[in-house]
Formats: sequence, structure tokens, C-alpha cells
Amino acid sequence: MKEINELVLPEDYKYTAEHEWVKKDGDTLQIGITDYAQDQLGDIVFVEFPEIGDSFDKDETFGTLESVKAVSDLFLPVGGEIVEINEALEDEPELLNSDPNGAWIVKIKPSDESEFDSLMSKEAYLNQLKG
Amino acid sequence: MQDKVKATKMHEWHMSNGANMGNFGNYDMPLWYPKGAKEEHLSVVTAAGLFDTSHMAAVTVTGEHAFDLLQLCFSKDLNSCIGKSKTPIEIGKCVYGVFLDEEGGVIDDAIVYKLETNIYMIVVNAAMGGTIAATLESKKENNIVMIEDLTDKLGKMDVQGPNSAKILSKIIKNPEKVFESFGYFNFKGHHNDASMLSDDVRLLDGTPILLSRTGYTGEFGFEIFVDENKTLELWEKIIEAGAEFDLVPCGLASRDSLRAGAVLPLSHQDIGSWPFSNNPWHFALPYNVTISDFTKDFVGASALKNIKDRKYTYPFAGFDLRKIATENSKVLDESGNEIGTVLTCATDMAIGRSDGKIYSITSPDKPEMKIKGLCCGFVQINTLTKSGQTIYLSDGKRKLKVEIRSDVRPDRTARKRIKDMI
Repeated sequence: MKEINELVLPEDYKYTAEHEWVKKDGDTLQIGITDYAQDQLGDIVFVEFPEIGDSFDKDETFGTLESVKAVSDLFLPVGGEIVEINEALEDEPELLNSDPNGAWIVKIKPSDESEFDSLMSKEAYLNQLKG
Repeated sequence: MQDKVKATKMHEWHMSNGANMGNFGNYDMPLWYPKGAKEEHLSVVTAAGLFDTSHMAAVTVTGEHAFDLLQLCFSKDLNSCIGKSKTPIEIGKCVYGVFLDEEGGVIDDAIVYKLETNIYMIVVNAAMGGTIAATLESKKENNIVMIEDLTDKLGKMDVQGPNSAKILSKIIKNPEKVFESFGYFNFKGHHNDASMLSDDVRLLDGTPILLSRTGYTGEFGFEIFVDENKTLELWEKIIEAGAEFDLVPCGLASRDSLRAGAVLPLSHQDIGSWPFSNNPWHFALPYNVTISDFTKDFVGASALKNIKDRKYTYPFAGFDLRKIATENSKVLDESGNEIGTVLTCATDMAIGRSDGKIYSITSPDKPEMKIKGLCCGFVQINTLTKSGQTIYLSDGKRKLKVEIRSDVRPDRTARKRIKDMI
């Protein structure tokens, strides 16, 4: 089990209470899960993706992660349209464990940029983890 | 009021080796180590794994009427339970069964060991030592029996996987003699120096152990009992000796997925307060040869003979590794009618399907295929059905197609001949 000070959380990412991260990538946003989430879930063995072109509201379920521990919903931190899914995770879902900050799950085109700005900073997320 | 969460003698080792921990039976136990539950599961099927099981409890029953008390309370007929010819239990043998209440519901499942004439050891689940001891006390009446709850007084760990005997051979005295013959559900040695069995299996430093050829993974291996103060030392010895045989420490997550694929029940989940009947484990009941009646009377027997509201427990396996959460789960038939609930849903990482048939990563006849795992477990439904029947599991969000099975992970090694394993 990782101690909080062992977690790798990039400074320039935004974070959510559901332990997801959001990273700006041109005019799209990448969505992934945090180092804390992957450590808690254990081996991730399957990712259920949405279809490209699907649109979701903020906090709506857009997919599921299957780990040895549980089946977990993925919530879209910012409303928008799915423009790309990370197909590498279909064959190697374990990339979410080995490289949680690199292995994005989907890229979206946000419908409202201000939803991104209102997400948590690394510091705010760390404070939440420390409870 | 919740008791303080307990720790086993290996707790610090688990923590310093990076285990993710979780509460089980009020013990803080490892769920998996940094390699992950999948790697642990696969290692037990192909090599070996070591499980801390000292949270499990043991109760000894001693005295002239110990046998009679067990005959009354335990589901196996100890006069007729060993081998195909159903001979009586003897020293060096152990049997799996259940303790039932008057309504036929399961108090706990257990393995009963005959340690000596008039001395038996009952191994039950975490936190159940006191309950089983109290159950026996309540039934002993004026009989001459001493019941001792050994909860937290006995160390236990399980070495499971095809390399288990090779690993143990490095740390015990006279391994050739110990492993010369050693059948499934046999045991040798004793964790207490005072026992006449204790000279049969000793570690190289002289520590006596009870070595039992049993387990909860479906694979070849042993459960080991040792003095509680020697537990950590033995654990570290096995980890060290096991390194060259690819042994890994394993947590409760892989224990659960391995046992689900081996069609073994988890007490209080797959078997529980409902009548112990119409399930895959009827071998735990004292049936006669024609399975028409019991060979003895025991607590719960008459309830089992008079069940009104029948429910049927079946193993299942899916078609890929996706599973569903069992809370609020439903079982649906092919027309969408609700017919039951899901008891266990786990993923056996060592199996996959090719043309519908299930193969294990160790199956000798396995075709060219990529094995990613299959979901499996147990359902309880309100109708009698057959192996091969399609059903659907739903948790409200997800609906998975699965198949009723008589068995799940093929080519398991638990029953292999010892001479092929050393």
C-alpha cells in the first residue's frame, strides 16, 4: 500500500474526488485515474469504454474499470464528447497500474471549459486524501 | 461494539513488504502484495504461493466422548468417511464437513483432524473458534469431553501450488521419508512437542510442525500448523526457500479467486444460514452409497430431510473476465425472469475459453490461445437446472451472460500423486 507521500501526482493535472485526473492536451482533455486509485483497486484487468462520439454530462458514468477488487464506474469530470479512447488499454489494462499518469483512458472535447477550471489542484486533492 | 482489529504474527512483515491490507474476520490481513493479485493467482497455479492463514481458528476436542460429540455436531460420519470404501477416520487423516444448526443452516465449515485416540482438532474460519467451541459445549451434556479454543494460540500458513513439496523439502528433516507417501487429506506431524506425532515432521532446527495435505486453492499444497511463536520464522524460511521455485506471498484476493475457480465455498457467503442442501458440496454430508439417506443422525439432519422452500446453489463461469458486484445482484433466466441471487463472483485469471471449452494455463491439451481469465462463482436460484444452462447476472447496470457449470478451472493439481510433485 502506498503512503500518501509516495504517490506520484503531476502538478499540472487537475483532480477529482473520484480519484480521476484531467490533463489539458491541445483543445481536448485527457482523463485518467490517479496513482492512489490504481493502488487501492489493485490489478486492473478490463476497461469498458464508451463509443467515440458519445456525449456525457459532468459526473455522468462513461465506462467501468474492472479490478481484482471491484467493478468501478468511471465518471466524466468535465462534460463533453468522447473524441478518442486509449485502445492500448484493451490489450494491456495493466498500464493503468504501471503508468497511471501516462495511461489516459479517454480524450474529450469539453463543452464548458469552466468545468475544468473548477476541478481540484494537486494540493487540494492531497488534502482530501489526508482527510 | 466492534472489537479492536487483530493482527497476525506476520502483520509487520506484510506491511514492510508493501501489502495492501483489508479487514477480514476482524483481522487486518493482506489483500495482495506489490506484484498484484493476478500474478499471485497465476503463481499458485504454475509454481507456488504462501498464504498467511493464522487468522483461522482451531478448537481441540479431547476425551472419551470426543468422537460421539463430533458425530452429533459435525456433518461427516466419522465412522464412514475415508476413501472409496468409506472406512472410519484414523490418526493422520482429516475430513471436510460443516457444523449445522437445528434448522440445517451452516454455523461454519471445518476440517476435522484425528490427532490421537480421543483427540481431535477442528479448523474453522476466522473468528469462529469461540462459536464452534460454544456450540460443542452446549451439546456435550454430561459427557467426558474437554473443549479448548486455540484462537490466536496457533500459527498457520498455507503453501499452495505444484512446487510446494519441493520448497518444503529444503526446510524439513528427512523430506524423502515425509514425502514418500502423502495422500490428499492426510497429515503428518504435530505442532506440539508433547504429541507422539511430533517427531514425524520437524524443521531443520527441530521445530515440530503439523503438515496437512489440504488447502483452499484447488492446487497441490499444504496447510502448516506451528507454535505461534515460531510462525514468523517459518514464514520467512518458506519465502527464502521458495525463491528458486518462484514462490510468491499471496493475499486474500488471490485466495478468493483461486478457490472460486476450484468450486470451493466461502463460509457465510456461499454457504450460510440457509439449509445446507442442493449445492455442489453434498460430499460434506453423511450420505449412504445410493445417496438416499444419511448413515448417521446429527444436528441439522432432520431439517435437511424436510426442506420446504428449496433453493439450488450452482457454480457458474462466464465467457470473459468481466464480473459484477454481488450486492443487490440478480440472476435472470433467458426470458429475463428473476430466478435468484449471486453468492460469489470472482475472476479466475488462469483460465480462458476456446470454442466454448475452458482451458487452464496449465492444461496439457490447451490449443493456441490467449488466456485472460473468466469470471466465475456461485449462484443460488429457485429452480433445478443443468450444467450448460445459460443464465444472466445483473447488478442493475451490467448484465453478464454466464453458464451453469459442474466444474470451473480444469487440470487442478490438488489430488495429484505426491511422487509426481517432488
